[in-house]
Amino acid sequence: MKSTRGERTFYVFNYVLLTLAGILCLLPLLHLASLSLSGKNAVMSGFVTLWPQEITFESYKLLFEGTPVLRSFANSVLITVVGVALSMVVTICAAYPLSRREFYGRRWLTLAIVFTMLFTGGLIPTYLVVSSLGLVNTYGALWLPALVSTYNMMIMRSFFENVPEELIEASRIDGSGEWRLLLRIVLPLSLPMLATIGLFYGVYYWNSFFNVMIYVNSPEKLNLTVLIQQMVRSQAVLQEINTMDTQQASNITPEGIKAAGIMIMIIPMLIVYPLLQRYFVKGVTIGAIKG
Amino acid sequence: MKANSAKPIRLQAKSPGQSRRFWHTQRFKTNAPLWIMFIPVIVFYLVFKYAPMAGLVIAFKNYTFYEGIWGSQWVGFANFEMLFTQSQSLQIIRNTLLLSVLSVAVGFPFPIILAIMLNEVRKKWFQKSVQTLVYLPHFFSWVIVGGLVVTIFAQSGIVNAALEKLTGQSFAFLFNESSWVAIFLGSGIWKDAGFSAIIYLAALTSIDPSLYEAASMDGAGKWKQIRNITLPGISPTIVIMLILAMGRVMEVGFDQVYVLQNSIVSGISEVISTYIYAIGLQGGQFSLTAALGLFESLVAFILVLLTNAVARRFGRGLW
Repeated sequence: MKSTRGERTFYVFNYVLLTLAGILCLLPLLHLASLSLSGKNAVMSGFVTLWPQEITFESYKLLFEGTPVLRSFANSVLITVVGVALSMVVTICAAYPLSRREFYGRRWLTLAIVFTMLFTGGLIPTYLVVSSLGLVNTYGALWLPALVSTYNMMIMRSFFENVPEELIEASRIDGSGEWRLLLRIVLPLSLPMLATIGLFYGVYYWNSFFNVMIYVNSPEKLNLTVLIQQMVRSQAVLQEINTMDTQQASNITPEGIKAAGIMIMIIPMLIVYPLLQRYFVKGVTIGAIKG
Repeated sequence: MKANSAKPIRLQAKSPGQSRRFWHTQRFKTNAPLWIMFIPVIVFYLVFKYAPMAGLVIAFKNYTFYEGIWGSQWVGFANFEMLFTQSQSLQIIRNTLLLSVLSVAVGFPFPIILAIMLNEVRKKWFQKSVQTLVYLPHFFSWVIVGGLVVTIFAQSGIVNAALEKLTGQSFAFLFNESSWVAIFLGSGIWKDAGFSAIIYLAALTSIDPSLYEAASMDGAGKWKQIRNITLPGISPTIVIMLILAMGRVMEVGFDQVYVLQNSIVSGISEVISTYIYAIGLQGGQFSLTAALGLFESLVAFILVLLTNAVARRFGRGLW
């Protein structure tokens, strides 16, 4: 099909604008990366743009040696790994029965669960419940209230509903029970969707910020997000670092350290992102179509 | 029922299942393991979703730590009266509405436009690369995005360095109410517009390509095609997303405000979620802030029902 002149202008504009949109998402990251790697004079002069100048790794060195970044990193990993495992198990335990037509009370239970998406008790009552269970200052306060994300559960349920009825019938004739059916047939058929939901939970736990802030008090239990936020926020932490290390680390600026702190959170994300990208589009789409 | 009751005796004689005990039936065999599976789920929803709803009674009480939720004194609507007479809490409700309505009004079209643009790209590799880039910020926590924004727009940041070179003056972007709001909205769009486009992209793939061919034959240009084919094609999705957005009108996410705000712009940046955190959790005024939370939940609930009712009139409701 030949394109008209109007169409050609449209396409040119379209490509230019989309390229700009893509670049706009990348530029801030490049800028931060350059800041984190640049020397003091370059940062102070304000003209580190998209390429590091007077390259130095001292900001990173200082972060790893002078602050509990590594411990927080380990905490974040622990919170994420255990959280994803728990959430996946319980979400499957919710989604699978609700996907089965034979399940007694399916309709009412689904309604009762969807209602919690529309109306919530809110922060204060939830906090009171969590603290009355004695979960404050434990990671249980992060994991237990987040065991099931109703949205993720509904995506999973509609996926399970689409498992062909013949497969279920066939396995029942073979004499397998529900557990076997779930573990041997339904779950293996749903691996891409499970990966997607796992990714959503993983991102949720890795990024958790507010819950850690309100429920976890001990500094040694903080995760990376809260630690970095405290560093970015309070000048005090940075001042302390500055006075502490002036002799050995004269090439450091607060901006550089903040940038390095943010980069430490971004980098793991960038490493995992390409691996998971092919899954999440699928997951969002399932949710969108089936509601 | 009537039809069956005509020959009940024959049915009973034919089916041996009738004489079996309930726990030998297939239905029970299927249900028992499903229910065992479901027990933790019920416990979860009761403890962490429904118990907090019951806990909302403290909005009508004067909650103290010693007396607990049930022992505390009833005060009726006193907490609500306080909320709706104090100028501070009124301002916070106003800020919340302002920021979220602006977020929806300004931010809502971006994913749609982005999806339509991406859909018009014919080179697959180009489409994939742009998608990879624009989806990425969604996965960053607000701490990262806030860190990026604050670094870039700070007094010593790159934007001000450039501005100073051009005009000789710097501008306190983060400490001026209107530019703060602009940064707030912009950062929200930067973070989530790309990812939200996925849903519209999925909807776009369901549009019959022959419609475009026909339109093109009739001499309709790109704009006309987008207006008359693409937009109507994805309008059900747009309506659903709008209903969902309505449910969030009373809530401005805590994280976003918290990482961006500072004391100078607090007149515009203090919202319900940050207020509940500061006054409720840190200040210990549980009843007052629970009342605010109840108000927030109720308004959101009513808004969703209303929007859905309107959408149903056009045959597009969620339920």
